[in-house]
Amino acid sequence: MELDAIAKLVFDILAFSSIMVLVVLGLAVIASMMGIFNLGHGEFVLLGAYTVFVFRELGLPEWSGMLAAPFLVAIVGLFVEATVIRRLYVAPVIAMLATYAVGLIIRETVRGLIGGQFYSIDEPIQGFIQIGDVSLSAWRSVIIVVTIAVMAGCYLFLTRTSFGLQIRGALENPMLARASGVSTARLYAFTFAFGAALAGLAGALMVPLFSLSADLGLRFLVQAFLAVMLGGVGTFEGPVLGGALIGAMVPGFQWLRELPLLNALIQPIVAEVLVFVVALIIVKFRPQGFVSKGRI
Amino acid sequence: MTIDRKQAAPARGGLTRRGFLKGAGALAATGWVAGSAGGWVLRPKWSHAAGPIKMGIATDITGAIAPSGNANWQIAQLAVQQINDGGGILGRPIELYLEDTASDPGVAVGNVRRLIQQNDVDVVLGGITSAMREAIKNPIVRRGRTLYIYPQLYEGQECTADLYCTGPTPAQQCDELIPWLIGQGHKRFAFPSANYLWPQLLNKYARKVIEDNGGEVVFEEYYPLDQIEYSATVAKINNENVDCVFKTVIPPGTQAFLKQLHESGFSERGGHVSCVYFDDNSVNYVPAREMEGLSSCLDYFKAIDDPFSNELQAAYDAMFPDTRFLFTAGSAATGMYRGVKFYEEAVKATGGDLDRDAVSAALDTAEIAQGPGGGAKMIPGTGHCAMNMYIAVSRAGEYEVISKYDMVDPAECT
Repeated sequence: MELDAIAKLVFDILAFSSIMVLVVLGLAVIASMMGIFNLGHGEFVLLGAYTVFVFRELGLPEWSGMLAAPFLVAIVGLFVEATVIRRLYVAPVIAMLATYAVGLIIRETVRGLIGGQFYSIDEPIQGFIQIGDVSLSAWRSVIIVVTIAVMAGCYLFLTRTSFGLQIRGALENPMLARASGVSTARLYAFTFAFGAALAGLAGALMVPLFSLSADLGLRFLVQAFLAVMLGGVGTFEGPVLGGALIGAMVPGFQWLRELPLLNALIQPIVAEVLVFVVALIIVKFRPQGFVSKGRI
Repeated sequence: MTIDRKQAAPARGGLTRRGFLKGAGALAATGWVAGSAGGWVLRPKWSHAAGPIKMGIATDITGAIAPSGNANWQIAQLAVQQINDGGGILGRPIELYLEDTASDPGVAVGNVRRLIQQNDVDVVLGGITSAMREAIKNPIVRRGRTLYIYPQLYEGQECTADLYCTGPTPAQQCDELIPWLIGQGHKRFAFPSANYLWPQLLNKYARKVIEDNGGEVVFEEYYPLDQIEYSATVAKINNENVDCVFKTVIPPGTQAFLKQLHESGFSERGGHVSCVYFDDNSVNYVPAREMEGLSSCLDYFKAIDDPFSNELQAAYDAMFPDTRFLFTAGSAATGMYRGVKFYEEAVKATGGDLDRDAVSAALDTAEIAQGPGGGAKMIPGTGHCAMNMYIAVSRAGEYEVISKYDMVDPAECT
């Protein structure tokens, strides 16, 4: 493979990984903190995308919708936490089912609102970045940069601020945190809203690449779960790593087909399945995830 | 055709079927009432001693295919209203029955049975995907002993007796388009495709036409229906110097695919994309710049300028102002219109006899003088019809008609 082809490959993998990491981060934050796998996470992603669509329909520029999406979805997250999730902390399995129900309601409502259609949404920044012979999509580059910034921001927030310290404390030992005067209820509400905001941001940023439809978030949900499992619940780096790996495997296996021998062996359908096979094998040998609990 | 609001109100109050909730407002507003046995019925304004002719529409009002399904029932409604306003078929009005097939073959079979067993319709029109057609054709044609008209462009090879197809076949979509593409200087084709029956059989036919015309297929690949990452495919298209992408990837993959292809600079290098289900609705889900120059071959485009098509389009727009469900060929709506009109012609030919075998025999040789894009003519013994086909190219989101081909042969079931 020539150099520019390799550059393109690395870029494609980075871009898709970034999208995956953004989706996974929100899911992992909620799962680590509250022990609940939010089955409605895909629909928070969808809401983020839908926000951009609504802004556009109102005649506002796409980027304003993208800025607003995390905040609006966070408000929805707060509402869902206060009305549904808060009542079910004692029964995480039931809470999971409840998040599924919430997701279903959101998804079908959005489907009704957009009439079951697909809608294309323009990127705020179009065109290419030309580096030598390689032309890279400008918007994918933006997504990569934003993802790195968000990851760095999250990490600094969790490790360098007193609020982050409270979160880590509540994660480590909720009883002790409460005894020390930390309101875990408030922390949980904040965490859920924060996870939702990250999902909203992911949805808003990715929708120009894939177009808006009611099933937009659903597409990422299963892979995001797998990423969290791969990475390990309860850490920050783990799910990010898991997300990056899953995100890399999706285009990666398709690229493997460019190699002469593998071309006949790996059909595109098989490539999609291989992602799951490899992930499950890793989970089998490292059930605790890449990074075990309590590192942040 | 709008029935009295007083009558509609209690029927609406009694609605319990959740699947219809979304469309209920729109349905009731245009005069549909819940039928006694479930589903919906649209009664004509006047009656005839012999009773109405009962026409059943089984289409996807809800679920993934709902945008197409809704366009189908809207055009059926318009076609029937026009017939009833013109005095019905030999004096008898048409009563329309609607069942939701809910984009789900499992749900559909039960609902379609109701059309036949409880509402005793004389003909069923509908189904959009091939999976749906396969699921409902036996309950209609075999066990139901009722005529079935299938309106969508499809992969061909449907030769069941008493089943009539009014949408384009692979021959109609490829026989003119591919020589035209090759004539434009495109010789190296790629077939990125969704992994199901329609792309497989369409590709098989297209490959033959390409090879017969001196072109070659560089690669043919099938992707999961919801795949949204195509960087490797796009790289291969560029590396192998493909100059025509004949794609059958469907939404949601189609948007991501076209974006990645566009971003790779494929069109700047003179590459061409062709997709035979793209129509005037496509610009809603693919940005115009990403399908600039894309060619399609269908039986109708909005840009076709013949008096009848213009009139029909205007009537549709007037009956459903601001609708999101456009009257286009890719959604099967043109096939649906043709189907209703073919049935009308067949019943006229039997002198009003609604017996299945009699109408089927008449339908086998029926001809409609006018329709979207022109008239159509059944090829006897095949269940398929010849129709005008148009090659059109996307210019700033609108399809510009390049050339017209008269009465293209469906070449099926011969």
